[in-house]
Amino acid sequence: MATSAHNKAPRMPGEERPSSRTTTISVSGIHGAHQSTRDTNSIIGFPSRKHFRVGGGSKVLEKSALQTPRQVVRVFDEEDNDVTPQPLYQAHPAAPHAKSCRLFLDEISAGSASDQTTATGSFTMPFSRSMFGSSRISSQSTIESLNEEIEDTFSKWEMPISFPDVQGKRNTVKEHVAKDMLKEVTDVYISEADSISLLDIPSTLMSVEADDTEVIMEKNNQYAELCRTRMGNNKYVDRAVQTLNGAAKNKQVQSDSNVMVDSATTVTSWDIYDALIRPEQHEEVSSREQEGAEYPGAAVDPNSGAERSASVGSTASTASTASAASSLNDGEALGSSLNTESDLQLNVLSETFQHCLLVMERSILRNTLQPELAAYRQLPVIEESQVKPGTVEKRQEDTESPRSPAVERLWAFSYERSRGRSVSSMAWNKINPDFLAVGYGELGSSEQKAGLVCCWCLTNPTWPEWDVQCDSAVTSLDFSSINPSQLAVGMRDGTIAVYKVNSQHNVSCVLSSSQCPNRHLNPVWQLRWTQQELNLTGDEMGESLFSVAADGRISRWFICSSGLDCTDLMKLKKIQHTKKKAGGTRTESVLSALTPGLCLDFHPTDSSVYLVGTWEGLIHKCSCSNNEQFLETYRKHFCPVNSIKWSPLSPGVFLSCSSDWTIQLWQQDHQNPVMGFSSTQTAVCAVDWSPKWPTVFGAIHEGQLEIWDLSSSILDPVLVQPAAAGVQMKSLLFATQTDCVLVGDSDGQVTVYQLKNLRAGGSSQVDLLEGLICSASQNSFKKYTQM
Amino acid sequence: MAEVEETLKRIQSQNGVQGIIIINSEGIPIKTTLDNASTVQYAGLIHQLVMKARSTVRDIDPQNDLTFLRIRSKKNEIMIAPDKDYFLIVIQNPSD
Repeated sequence: MATSAHNKAPRMPGEERPSSRTTTISVSGIHGAHQSTRDTNSIIGFPSRKHFRVGGGSKVLEKSALQTPRQVVRVFDEEDNDVTPQPLYQAHPAAPHAKSCRLFLDEISAGSASDQTTATGSFTMPFSRSMFGSSRISSQSTIESLNEEIEDTFSKWEMPISFPDVQGKRNTVKEHVAKDMLKEVTDVYISEADSISLLDIPSTLMSVEADDTEVIMEKNNQYAELCRTRMGNNKYVDRAVQTLNGAAKNKQVQSDSNVMVDSATTVTSWDIYDALIRPEQHEEVSSREQEGAEYPGAAVDPNSGAERSASVGSTASTASTASAASSLNDGEALGSSLNTESDLQLNVLSETFQHCLLVMERSILRNTLQPELAAYRQLPVIEESQVKPGTVEKRQEDTESPRSPAVERLWAFSYERSRGRSVSSMAWNKINPDFLAVGYGELGSSEQKAGLVCCWCLTNPTWPEWDVQCDSAVTSLDFSSINPSQLAVGMRDGTIAVYKVNSQHNVSCVLSSSQCPNRHLNPVWQLRWTQQELNLTGDEMGESLFSVAADGRISRWFICSSGLDCTDLMKLKKIQHTKKKAGGTRTESVLSALTPGLCLDFHPTDSSVYLVGTWEGLIHKCSCSNNEQFLETYRKHFCPVNSIKWSPLSPGVFLSCSSDWTIQLWQQDHQNPVMGFSSTQTAVCAVDWSPKWPTVFGAIHEGQLEIWDLSSSILDPVLVQPAAAGVQMKSLLFATQTDCVLVGDSDGQVTVYQLKNLRAGGSSQVDLLEGLICSASQNSFKKYTQM
Repeated sequence: MAEVEETLKRIQSQNGVQGIIIINSEGIPIKTTLDNASTVQYAGLIHQLVMKARSTVRDIDPQNDLTFLRIRSKKNEIMIAPDKDYFLIVIQNPSD
């Protein structure tokens, strides 16, 4: 092999073999490398794969079709530097470039350089030449034979990467060329480039007859033998190495799966509102409910207890049908323990529950009293379908009957505590026309019985809104108009107390005149709150309380530090017709010269003028600004004047009633009454104008209620309603907005009567009254007859 | 507390009242004057109805709230006064 190689071998260094022909400028470097590797391959005894790697470029060479400018030997890089590969023999070991693949070339070059030296050092020229030749051939063959091996291992190795430029940046040139390739059809000319000799180690020749010929010949032979026998030589054994893989052991781990709980909630828009707006209230509720949930005793199933405490605070409607069902079951099971729980839980609910109860009670009563209440409110009465036929006929009768005035009893305010007490006075609340204050107290009996003040609401005739026990019998009441929650109560022992309603059932006595040194010591017969515009000194004043009592004093009360204090507005002096002392009228004798005043009424428009009725039967018109004298005195009655009322619609007209069985109609300018009315021979206890009809007024005799309508008759009352058996009517009050009359009787009942079919009046009635008055007054002395 | 009891007694003695039930916000009856079965039935059914009614009112206007609910039927009338925590249910037959 070697000898044959020898034969083929001799070539001039620098000549190329056809197979290794590399043609292009860009490839010329490759050639150089190629050649160098070939040489290195031959010299180095052990083939290192990485060097062979370069050999794979030959295949790639076939693939690449590159432009070959003819006879371009010089290589330029981007900067037009001459990077023509120099003979490797003279080239320095390639400066390390950044590219990793150059490392191989470096190694190759370094190896080659080192080898060069060894080559030159160890071998003589001829031998080296022959070696070169042989190496060429052998390397050629080996390269060819190794190509397959290389291809296996580095099949993917592309030439542009595997053959880095020795001195320049050939990659970029490569790419540039490749781009140009895409654009146009290129003609590839393949020609043989000039050979570049990179390594030229001439063979050393020595004469056969030299001294150490035999040694060298021996070496040559040994080497040839080695090459020849390399393949099947036992000295070289292929050996495989395997890393031991340890036996795999499977280990399994299993963890508890996370328990997933689905929870859903339905949120409504008001849930969001609650959460945003009122968080503090929820905290209160939840804290209160926590306490409430702790109360249930041992009998309670802890599960249900937890449910209650958990979900009470929230208002989100979670899917709770299941829980509701379960709680119902619990409720059934807990039937026995309901009572204990209820007592405890009622503790919690008593505060907030009162309102519910109140509303409920009123609603229930409204159901039962619906027709009556509707009649009171002057609403059409709803006929229920289940009314029995008998009643239907009766009602039809009523509606079909001609429109004659009638009194219909609607209902009565009464409850257990009020039974047996006599109604002494009634007053409407100034602001809320549904509230009625009633004072109970025995007036006639000598024994001191405790009095009672109740405030009723129209919607609940069975139980008053609040009630207050008083020390003594209540004789008069009035609501304040500035502070509608204040009620002034006058009592039989002369005490005046002002009560204030603080809350639902909380009434407290705000003021009392019991400490006042000037207080009345006799029954306070009438109380009035009146707005005063100007007081005596000319300042504006608010409301003040006026009272008239049996000690003959009319006092104005005001609030001082220790309660109420009063100033006397007027003293009712006894005016004796026959005996009148010429001297002072203010002689104070041991016996009080004052006559009890029984009633008091302020002029509806001029609040400084008021009327007082006295025990003697005299009516005085007084002014607040005048303490001494009466403006006028009206004499007619000879018995105590029980009631005086200004007409609210006709100015200057007032009514008075007295125990002498008469009612007198006065006009304030006339000393004598315009008209007088009498019907029965019983004392008239009270009289009141109707607020709606100018000619209608009501009067109470002890046994009956009379409604007079002056437009229809001035001699007889239009309506007469007898009192219930054994009961005496005591007080009278017209309802302000409806045509109803309230009558209080001696049994503690306040009955509401509805006046029906009275011909309603308007302003024309006022004129009618005026006309009547005028005509009557003209003939007053003639027509008037005294009973 | 005593006032509550007293008021309940008064309501019970009113004309035509057939029964009173107080249930808490979960629908569990606390106090009742009817028998157990009816109480439980009323409580469960009415509780749901009140919740629905209240939700209706508040959905329209969150600042609003249900104050009273009345169901009038042929035979009687059921009145429900909801409180924040409790419901008061009264069954009345007004024609008695």
